[in-house]
Amino acid sequence: MTLAGKILIPLLILVALLTVLLLVLWEVGVLPALIGVVADVVTSNIDIIRFLLAATAILLFTIPTAFVIIFMELKVIAFLASRIGPNRTGPWGTLASVVAGFKVLAKEDYTPTGADAAVFTIAPIITYLASVLTLLVIPFAPGLVGLDMNIGLLYFFAVSGLSVVGLMMGGWSSFNKYSLLGGLRAAAQIVSYELPLVLAPVGVIMLAGTLSLNGIVQHQAGWFWDWYVFQQPLAFVVFFIAATAEGNRTPFDLTEADSEIVAGFATEYSGMRFGFFFFAEYVGVFVLSALTTVLFFGGWNSPIDPRPILDFFHVTINGAIDLAGMGIWLLWAVVLGVPLVVFLMTLVIWTFKSGWSFVKSLVVAFVLFNVIAAAVVLIWAFVSFEVVVGLFWFMVKAFTFAFVFVWMRGTLPRVRIDQLMGFAWKWLVEISLVNAFVTAGAILVVQQVTGR
Amino acid sequence: MSRVPGWGIAMGMVHTFVRMTQAKRTIQYPEQRQEISPHHRGRLILLYDEAGNLKCETCFQCAAACPIEIIDMGGVDTKNRFHVHWGPAEQYAERREESALRRSGRPVADRSFEAWLPIDLGPLEQILIRNDYDPRRLLTILEATQQQYAYLPVSALQHISHSTGAWYSEIYGIASSYPNLIFEPGRVSEIGLCQCATCAMLGSGRIRDALVAALGTDIGGVTADGAVRFVAADCGGESRDEPLVTLDGQAQPHMTAEKAGRLAQRLRAKAAQPARA
Amino acid sequence: MTDAKTEVRSLDDPNIWVETPATIYDAIPPYPPRTEREAEFYHLRDGEMLLNLGPQHPSTHGVLRVVLKVDGERVTDLDPVLGYLHRGVEKLCEVGDWHIAISQCDPLEYVASLFSEAMPVMAAEKLLDLEVPKRAQYIRTLVWELNRISSHALFIGWLALDLGGLTPLLYGFIERDEIVEMLAALTGQRMLFNYLRIGGVNRDLNHDFLSRLGDWMSRAAVEIEQETRLLNENEIFVRRTRGMGVMTPEMALRMRVTGPNLRAAGVPFDVRRAHPYAAYPDLEFDIPTRSEGDSYARYMLRVDEIRESIKIIDQCLHEMPDGPIMARIPRLIRIPPGRAFVAVESPRGEYACYAMSDGSDQPFRLRISDPSFWNLQSVGEMVPGNLIADTMAIMASLDPVMGGVDK
Repeated sequence: MTLAGKILIPLLILVALLTVLLLVLWEVGVLPALIGVVADVVTSNIDIIRFLLAATAILLFTIPTAFVIIFMELKVIAFLASRIGPNRTGPWGTLASVVAGFKVLAKEDYTPTGADAAVFTIAPIITYLASVLTLLVIPFAPGLVGLDMNIGLLYFFAVSGLSVVGLMMGGWSSFNKYSLLGGLRAAAQIVSYELPLVLAPVGVIMLAGTLSLNGIVQHQAGWFWDWYVFQQPLAFVVFFIAATAEGNRTPFDLTEADSEIVAGFATEYSGMRFGFFFFAEYVGVFVLSALTTVLFFGGWNSPIDPRPILDFFHVTINGAIDLAGMGIWLLWAVVLGVPLVVFLMTLVIWTFKSGWSFVKSLVVAFVLFNVIAAAVVLIWAFVSFEVVVGLFWFMVKAFTFAFVFVWMRGTLPRVRIDQLMGFAWKWLVEISLVNAFVTAGAILVVQQVTGR
Repeated sequence: MSRVPGWGIAMGMVHTFVRMTQAKRTIQYPEQRQEISPHHRGRLILLYDEAGNLKCETCFQCAAACPIEIIDMGGVDTKNRFHVHWGPAEQYAERREESALRRSGRPVADRSFEAWLPIDLGPLEQILIRNDYDPRRLLTILEATQQQYAYLPVSALQHISHSTGAWYSEIYGIASSYPNLIFEPGRVSEIGLCQCATCAMLGSGRIRDALVAALGTDIGGVTADGAVRFVAADCGGESRDEPLVTLDGQAQPHMTAEKAGRLAQRLRAKAAQPARA
Repeated sequence: MTDAKTEVRSLDDPNIWVETPATIYDAIPPYPPRTEREAEFYHLRDGEMLLNLGPQHPSTHGVLRVVLKVDGERVTDLDPVLGYLHRGVEKLCEVGDWHIAISQCDPLEYVASLFSEAMPVMAAEKLLDLEVPKRAQYIRTLVWELNRISSHALFIGWLALDLGGLTPLLYGFIERDEIVEMLAALTGQRMLFNYLRIGGVNRDLNHDFLSRLGDWMSRAAVEIEQETRLLNENEIFVRRTRGMGVMTPEMALRMRVTGPNLRAAGVPFDVRRAHPYAAYPDLEFDIPTRSEGDSYARYMLRVDEIRESIKIIDQCLHEMPDGPIMARIPRLIRIPPGRAFVAVESPRGEYACYAMSDGSDQPFRLRISDPSFWNLQSVGEMVPGNLIADTMAIMASLDPVMGGVDK
């Protein structure tokens, strides 16, 4: 018997046995009772289940996001420098960041001599968790929030401040002066910029009247001039600068300045521990750009409100498809229609591309069919579901700000630690306080004038 | 300096964004290659002229000018003198007695390639069968091979590597740790002396005495370690000023009795050290 | 030192644990201080720490080790350790003849190697009292100025990189690549050219080189403006470099600083004007000078020098005389005994050589005085009192090349 046979045949026997077992249990009535019990447990604790699902979902979401942002960083910085960036691994270099992630896994994981092993191991985990947990309150789409807390913004700032604990732990526990310097700089920097970061959205909170991020987004519904950036431009600038510093991004990346202190707090880290720091930084980029869009740019609201336009043209788009009403024709459509369409497309391609064999045109037609079908489904989803529209706009805006972060990294040199802290304490805190006062005053004046 | 704070930063960022849209300067090797100017001096090739003749005249200027003394040439110069060793002597294993340019049509095998020539692998196969193709018995295999072929030919080592699975470099490393295993066929040098009347009048008798004293054998014999053979040569009446003394068939000019003695001693001393490839 | 444990341990023992005293992570040497300066330096007060910017560091411009005594982030004292790139070039020059010395002296300033090649060449010419043909002088001036531009383009890139900006370095390399390819078309090599000969130059100008040069010259001024636009007015860059590493004229003259660093401090000394050589007496160019003496002034001065060099190249091309490119000298040069001192203005400063010949075909002594060596001595006066981050910025603004520092 071949090797494949040795694996497959026992597997098939196992599957057959399991099917028989399930049928028996179903007939006997054990299985329906079990399903009923599980359903009862779930429905009674729906909140906890939902929370666990949300936590798992954001944990799984961060990894592809980090890969996408790393790829964007590599390509954008290369383009800024009139170069191409990775273009050999994967089509247009898209697998480069994935390969980098796997490379990080494959490296030797060691603890340096003299390092405090427990603290050394836990530090990257804390930093990563701090970045990931903040995603729990960010509204991705209407109804798509991890946990809609009514103190969402406060929770966000509290948890994102935990990252400095991880950085300091990493800097101190590696038995290395460069790491020590990096950790101290990180502590000073993040603590200094917490204040402008927190004070700048105070104006937004006053305008929206709620700390819940979902609520803030809902208050910005409408056209793009309803977004808070037009009502709080100064706060936006201060917030963006503070966010750059909080995320340890250039021009404030002196915690990991490679031309001065090698890699700062992460000098002695290698392998997956460094991978955690690495991912934490890029997830932080995404989180901060997501927060910027939520607070100032309308979150998942689209810049134009299509309803007045559609009403003007008396057009209604109803994306509902009555799948149940199609009955047996649905089965025929899927089983016969898809191969028929693919075959027709193959014939067309095969006729007009004389150099290709039938098999090649069949493959191309299949791929093309899948691409067109996916596009059609996406457009239908876009038109009919609010969630898809919201998610689309949210992602567009968040990645635009991630692009701006990367753009700044490629262009600007670094500030010095004393200039950085001077800038925070002497300028940003004052400006954000002034902004808060002016906003409060303006709200009072408007309320008096309009009597509301 | 602009009065607007952040203006320089903003202008810098606009500039890099504009650069993003312009042409990229990357050369996609290996599909595109950077054109090397024809005047580039980095290519190490010997040039030919329009008629297809090699332009190199072995004038030695390049070797003289090289600051790291890495260029060497072979053969005799226009005054029939041997090439001057330029650099430390240990770099020069006597492998190039003749330059291909001066051979004037006479094919002479370059002895340094003898180790790479194909050999009869039948006996080697027997040795491997006796040792069960076991790479752990490599020393036994190598010693048997040396006994069979009198040295370790390269093709034998390659065959051993293919059959046993040990890496060639491993086998080479093991073999080179043992001084009794040699990689080049043992040299038997030949010193020839012409005994005709003309040469005798020109002093070949004294040279013969010196060589007999140095080698320990007379004409027609081999030294005790089999390294140097003393043969009779024939000048054909061509010798004018000095007797004909040959080394491996090549005439040695300006040979005196002392020089011949020293030459013989040098050959014996060199044969005492095993040759390494 | 270990205490009285005399058991022999095998290095293959997997349970081996070596007690490492914490002091080995300091840069304090294990022997007692040999000089007063060492005693003063290695005596750490409370709160001070020795930080070793080792020979392997992303921004020490080569293999330079700097031991910093820091108090938190502020540098209180500085000890550069040189010699990691020492190759014995001066001794190697004594072993071969004068022609070999040209290729030995090439790697001394590997960024712009025609200036270091000029040392044995001009020294031999001075000792032989040889008149170099006019065309050769103009060609030499042309390639010297091209080398100066490529070196300054690289300087801008390194300075920005040490401050944290990635892209100006890549822009600088695009510029430098064009110039270096141009010089490869002329001399045959991209970096260590080996182009100057005693009595002239190796090859004449050819069509490939001239077409590339013409093409580049038509774009040069605009491209330089664009490259520097990213940094000139960038607030972050300006705040990092303005007022940093201030060099007063007295300090500059006392520490034997030369070149753009000296001119940025206010002393208008340029070897091309003070002791003219080659075609410089016939050319019109200004010597840019600034008076602030800080890193920003050094940066802007080099940008100005690039513009001046473009003007010089333009004049050389237009006034290139005809004639031979090399004087008639015998193949084997025996220089009569004598001594000569020659100096050229390299992008780093005054590149000088004191040559002694004893009548044979080998130089008796070529004492080479590299500007980077002297410029680097001034970090000891400029850096203490600044932060660690400024150490890199100040060293980068002095533009050292370790090949010449260690010879």
